Amino acid sequence: MLVVEDLYKSFGNIQAVEDVSFEVKKGEVFGLLGPNGAGKSTTISMISTLFPPTKGNIIFEGYNILDNPKKIRNKLGVVPQDIALYPTLSGYENLSFWGNVYGLKGAELKKRINEIADIVGLNGRIKDKVDKYSGGMKRRINIGAALLHKPDLLIMDEPTVGIDPQSRNHILDTVLELNKQGMTIIYTSHYMEEVEYLCSRVCIMDEGKIIASGTQHELVELINGKTQINIKTDKIDESLEECLKNISGVYAIKTMDDIISLYGENVDILLAEIIDKVTKYGRRIESIDVKKPNLESVFLHLTGKALRD
Amino acid sequence: MIILNIIIKDIKIIFSDKKALAIIIIMPLVLMTILSFALKGSFASSDEVINNKVKIAVVKKYDEAKDTEMFKSILKSSFLKTGFEDLESVDLLDELNVEDMFFNDFLDSEEVKKIISYNIEEENKSLEMLDNSDISAIILLPEKYVYDMKMNLLTPFRNKIDIKILTHPDRNIEGQIVKSIVKAYSDAISTIAIGKNVIIEASNLYNIGDGGLEGISDLIEGMTESIQSINIDIDDVMVDGRKSITSGDYYAVAMMTMFILYAASHGGRMLLEEKDNKTYQRMIIGDISEVKVLFGKFFTVFIIAIVQIIIMVIYSSIALKVDWGNLYYVTIISVTAAFSVAGVGAFIASLTFKAGNYKVANIFESAIIQVMSLLGGSFFPIDILPNVIQKLNIISINGIVLKSYLKVIKGHGGTDIINNIILLLIIGVLFTILSVAILKEGRGRLNDKYHKVENVKA
Ligand SMILES: Nc1ncnc2c1ncn2[C@@H]1O[C@H](COP(=O)(O)OP(=O)(O)OP(=O)(O)O)[C@@H](O)[C@H]1O
Ligand SMILES: [Mg+2]
Repeated sequence: MLVVEDLYKSFGNIQAVEDVSFEVKKGEVFGLLGPNGAGKSTTISMISTLFPPTKGNIIFEGYNILDNPKKIRNKLGVVPQDIALYPTLSGYENLSFWGNVYGLKGAELKKRINEIADIVGLNGRIKDKVDKYSGGMKRRINIGAALLHKPDLLIMDEPTVGIDPQSRNHILDTVLELNKQGMTIIYTSHYMEEVEYLCSRVCIMDEGKIIASGTQHELVELINGKTQINIKTDKIDESLEECLKNISGVYAIKTMDDIISLYGENVDILLAEIIDKVTKYGRRIESIDVKKPNLESVFLHLTGKALRD
Repeated sequence: MIILNIIIKDIKIIFSDKKALAIIIIMPLVLMTILSFALKGSFASSDEVINNKVKIAVVKKYDEAKDTEMFKSILKSSFLKTGFEDLESVDLLDELNVEDMFFNDFLDSEEVKKIISYNIEEENKSLEMLDNSDISAIILLPEKYVYDMKMNLLTPFRNKIDIKILTHPDRNIEGQIVKSIVKAYSDAISTIAIGKNVIIEASNLYNIGDGGLEGISDLIEGMTESIQSINIDIDDVMVDGRKSITSGDYYAVAMMTMFILYAASHGGRMLLEEKDNKTYQRMIIGDISEVKVLFGKFFTVFIIAIVQIIIMVIYSSIALKVDWGNLYYVTIISVTAAFSVAGVGAFIASLTFKAGNYKVANIFESAIIQVMSLLGGSFFPIDILPNVIQKLNIISINGIVLKSYLKVIKGHGGTDIINNIILLLIIGVLFTILSVAILKEGRGRLNDKYHKVENVKA
């Protein structure tokens, strides 16, 4: 359905996107995973015809949309990373305007707005002004505005940033439901759990480049047997981190709050050594858990850094 | 029509912003009310006509010497006999100086001098002056004027005398004034002529002879007096013409023309606001062209300006008793004014959008509107400013609009405002074209500023 070929985009001397290629197949949920500044939004903006790439091609259903932006525009729904709505208008007025933009009007528009309000779970508050909504409600109506014209391809740019778990689950279920109804979806996130939950195929980006892509299974295979170990201690400092990093077999290490995540081969041997080092260092271990490899570990493996920090 | 939807949406947004609304609608109402009462004194009801004398030219198409000669020979001929044999001895000819009557006794009389200043000119030269608007009217005294006047005043005959008045189409009111004054003069002459006929006839009838002639000579003496006392009532003259401007009239127009400019700065911000809101990008993705979005802003400014004008016209008519004059002209001026303001609004919108910040709109609001208001006369009438600065007022849109409305309030007609209307249309078209050109320039980079550089963390 959508083919992205050798995409480059630079802003001045910032290389935001570099040699990005992927294909999105009809009917799938395609994940674009990457940390802040990876170039996800830039890639999406180019697919949405907002600005042309410095180099490369984007083909939608056989048409190069750089020459023919109209070919994608009315089949595309975009949920931007930022809330793209009129804050002083009501949810209803917003949906009604965006419906107009896609040529909906009259009774059909009304019916569609009611359906959307149902889908995003805003039925009771639809006549309130958008700036009176909570963060999660704004996110949900932001999604709703992209669904009015029943797009064939839906691109969602980090639609769950900064919202409560309940709204988040609602959004994730909505995505699966839409996909079940036949909508092709590109889902962007830096939450690997979301991508794991939703996406059949994933592209992992970092610093403008694609560092890995494939099905979840294929990606996890990349690590083959490498494991993540999370240790919770009473106190963490850099010298401890440094010391653990030097253990042979440890590929990467990161610290979040009071948890050190290590990543390496041969868990059994590693575990013993780690416990030994930490205790020698005079720290008390509060918990240790060994994690099954996931996308997070894939990212850690490939880049030596965490998806989020 | 998606443009219509964009306009409706933009208007909803403007009307949901109470602060903006207060500035562009309530504030001018308050200001015009305060200023009109505070400055009542400085708008004395003295007639401008008297401050500005009506300049005219008088053309003599007759030859005085020839006419007098002709009159003498007619008198001598047998044609006129009855009762006039002694005329020569009475020597009325010298006593009746027709030219003096018109120039000294009439045009130079106290009353008329207040209103009209005249020069005697050649016909061609005077026409040229009228063309150049150097004068407002020409009085053409016809061939044989002196002869015919003498005939009318001294013999039983009544020759037709056609005093022609040529006026300039742009100077309707002045023309009217000249016409009514000259009419007052010829009415007075007619009365005298009729009075004379009665005396002559009576003296013939009763064969009084000399007595009748004495009557005539008395009459002629009285002529000067009666012409000098032609009473010219300026107020009557101005009934269907010029009306003087009150402080209410002035400040209703002045504030209105100033505050419609704020519609332009509001509209001028809206395009970049959309970009900051990311709704602009959403529209582009939705296949709405940037020019359409811009025209949405153009029409929004237009409609806001029209709404402002309607509210202010209604308010000032009721609360300040402003008589706006011919509503047809008021409508034409309002629509063209809103059009040119909309053009400026679109221009500011494009510049602001391209700049990526609100400096342009802010400068327009805090500096340019103020300068335009000063030069255009929105703060006080510009005739108290130095001449050079007065000339600058053509660069201020509100000045052009203000002049036009004031003319209509004073009672001027279409030909007096047409130039201003055309000027406003040109300004509107020019700025609109510029705004489209600016927006389309470098379109490839159109949305490069979409991402804020806030996410350089990884
Ligand atoms: N208009 C712009 N001008 C300059 N630099 C830009 C612009 N837009 C993006 N960038 C830069 O390009 C890089 C990629 O940005 P992008 O927004 O695509 O990342 P992202 O993967 O969406 O990140 P996030 O998860 O934070 O949204 C960043 O370094 C960013 O600063
Ligand atoms: Mg992003």
